[in-house]
Amino acid sequence: MQGSAGTEPDKRAYLDVVGVGKAFKGTTVMSDMDFRVARGELVSLLGPSGCGKTTLLRIIAGLTSADAGDILLDGRAITRVPAHRRNISVVFQSYALFPHLTVAENVAFGLRARSVPKGDIAPKVSEALQLVRMRDFADRPVAALSGGQQQRVAVARALVVDPVLLLLDEPFSALDRKLRETMQVELKSLLRDRGMTAIFVTHDQEEAMGVSDRIAVMNSGQIEQFATPSELYARPRSSFVMDFVGLSTRMRGRVSKTDGPVMQIDTANGMVLAQGDYGVGTEVTVGVRPELITPVAGENTIKVTLADAMVLGAKTQLHGASHPEDRLLCEVPGIQTNLTRGQDVTFGWSVKDTLVYEAPR
Amino acid sequence: MRRLEHIGLLALPGLTFLAVIFALPLFMLLLKSFQIDGQFSLEEYRLFFTDEYNMSVLWRTLRVAALTTIVALLIAYPTAIAMSRANGIWLSIFLVAMVLPMSVGVVVKAFAWSIIFRTRGVLNDILMSLGIVDTPIRMLFTETALIIGAANVFLPFMVLPIYAVLRQMDTRLPEAAASLGATPVFRFFNVTLPLSLPGVVAGCAFVFSLAVSMYVIPSLIVGERQQTLSMLTARSFLYLRNEALGATISSILLIIAISVVLGSSWLANRLGARS
Repeated sequence: MQGSAGTEPDKRAYLDVVGVGKAFKGTTVMSDMDFRVARGELVSLLGPSGCGKTTLLRIIAGLTSADAGDILLDGRAITRVPAHRRNISVVFQSYALFPHLTVAENVAFGLRARSVPKGDIAPKVSEALQLVRMRDFADRPVAALSGGQQQRVAVARALVVDPVLLLLDEPFSALDRKLRETMQVELKSLLRDRGMTAIFVTHDQEEAMGVSDRIAVMNSGQIEQFATPSELYARPRSSFVMDFVGLSTRMRGRVSKTDGPVMQIDTANGMVLAQGDYGVGTEVTVGVRPELITPVAGENTIKVTLADAMVLGAKTQLHGASHPEDRLLCEVPGIQTNLTRGQDVTFGWSVKDTLVYEAPR
Repeated sequence: MRRLEHIGLLALPGLTFLAVIFALPLFMLLLKSFQIDGQFSLEEYRLFFTDEYNMSVLWRTLRVAALTTIVALLIAYPTAIAMSRANGIWLSIFLVAMVLPMSVGVVVKAFAWSIIFRTRGVLNDILMSLGIVDTPIRMLFTETALIIGAANVFLPFMVLPIYAVLRQMDTRLPEAAASLGATPVFRFFNVTLPLSLPGVVAGCAFVFSLAVSMYVIPSLIVGERQQTLSMLTARSFLYLRNEALGATISSILLIIAISVVLGSSWLANRLGARS
C-alpha cells in the first residue's frame, strides 16, 4: 500500500483510486496504482516525463479509460462514468481555450453545456471572471490574451461550473518564472478559499512543494512516496525521491561494518557513518541535504577540494571535486567570498542526517 | 523591398502562359457574348434569361450542384472525422482510398455508375433478389442518380479540406469541452463543427464549382434528356453552331464560378478571423 503512505488513518478518502492499471499498445504504463486524496486537499503528482502522472490525471478525469481498477469519488464508483458526467474540471497545459469564442463565452461554455438558465449564466460568468481579475477582458477573443491571462481564463472556466474536483496538468509550465510564482500563490489561495479539492500534475519540484499539501512522487508508473513537502524533503523514501526533490550530496559506497543501528560505509571520499540495517557488503547510496552540511568537522567529516563556490545571494553553494557519479554539495548561508576554487575544505554533518539507500543492481 | 519586387519577376513566365492560353481566349469568349454583328449588345443575355427552357436548365444546374454539394458534405464530414482520428496503416488506407480514385478517369467512374443504376443493373438486381422491390426501379437518367454519381466523383474534394482542418485542431479542445460537462452532441455542434467550418467552406466551394460545370457525368448518367448548362454550352457550339449562345452560357457559368470562389474566400476569411 505504498500509495497511502503519509495519510493519517482518520482522513476519509474523497478521491480513491484503487488498483488502477493501464497499458498502451502492450506497454504497461501503470499497474495496481492506489492513490487517495482527502476532501479539500491540494495534491501534486510529481515526476519526470513518462512516469505516468498525466495518464493518471486523464484516467481520473475520464479522458482515458483504465484497463483495471476502480475510481471512487465521495464513495461512489465513477470508473465507467463518461467524462462529461463526472463534474471534474481540467485545466490543460495549453489551457485549451476555445479559439472561436470570446473570454466570456469560454467561461460560459460549461454552464451552457449543463443547460443552466440563460439569465443565470451572465452573473456567474461575471463573478468567475472577477475572481481571476479578468472581467475587463470579457469580450476579447482569447487569441489576444497573454499566457498568464489565458491561464486565468482557463481557471475561471474550470471553476465556474462548481466541479467536485479540479485537475491541473502542468498549469504553470507555459509561464515565465516570475509570473509562474505569482500565479502559484494566487491560485493556491483561490482554491483554499473555495475549499476546492485539486490535483496538480507537474515535473517541477519547487512548484509541487509550493502549491500542495501533499506530493505523490511518481516514477515509472509507481508512486514512490506520497507525503507532505517537508517529509518528502527530510525523509525521502528512495534515492529517486531524494534526487528528484531538492538537491543533495550523494556518494556511492559499500557497508563495511555494522554496530547496532549504525553502519560504517566506505565511499570514495572516506568513511561515513549512517543509521540503518543493511548487511555488510551491501552497495548503497549515501545522501545528505546540502544545508545540513557545514564547512567544519562533524560526526561525519570528509575532505573536499572545491571545484566551485557559487554565490547565490542568500546562500553560497560549495561544489566539491568528485567522481562524476557522486556529487559533493554544501550550502552555507550568506555570501562567502573567502572560499575559492581549488581550496581544500571540510564537509561535516551529523549521523542522523545521513540518508542511506540500497543501490539498484 | 526592391529584392522582393525582383523575385516577383519569377512569376512572369507562369502569368504570361496563363494570360495567353487561358485569360485571353476567355476574354474573347466574354466579348463574343456581348456582340451581335460586331455591335455591343445585351440581347443574347436577354434572350437567354427570357427563354423558359434555358431558365429551367439554369435552375436544374444550380439545384444539382447544390444537392451534390450537400450529399458530398454529409458523406464527407464523418469520413473526415474518422480520418482525422486514424493513424498509421488506417490513415494510409483512407488517404489512398481518397486519392486513388482521382487517378481513374471521370468517364470510367461515370460509366461504372451507369452500370450500377441500369434497369437490369447491379443495384436493381440486389434490390430484387432481396425482395425489396418486385420490378426494377428506373434510376438511370434521373436527377437522383446524377447527384449520387457526382457526389461520389467529387467526394475527395470535400473530404480532404475538412480532414486537413480537423487534423490541425487541438485534440484538447473536445476534451476540455467534455470535462466541462458537454455531451458528445453538444461538443460537436459547439466545438468541432464551428472550428472545422473553414474546411467545410473550402470543400463546398470546390464541389459546387466542379458540379456546376460538370459535363461528362451528366452526359453519361442522365444523357440528353435533362440538360445542364455545360451540356447546353457544348450543344450550342458543336451542334447548333450558335457561338453567341455558347459564349453567353459560358459567361454565366464563369460568373457563377467566380461568385462561388469570391464568396467562399470571404466567408473563410471571416471564419478565420474569428478563430
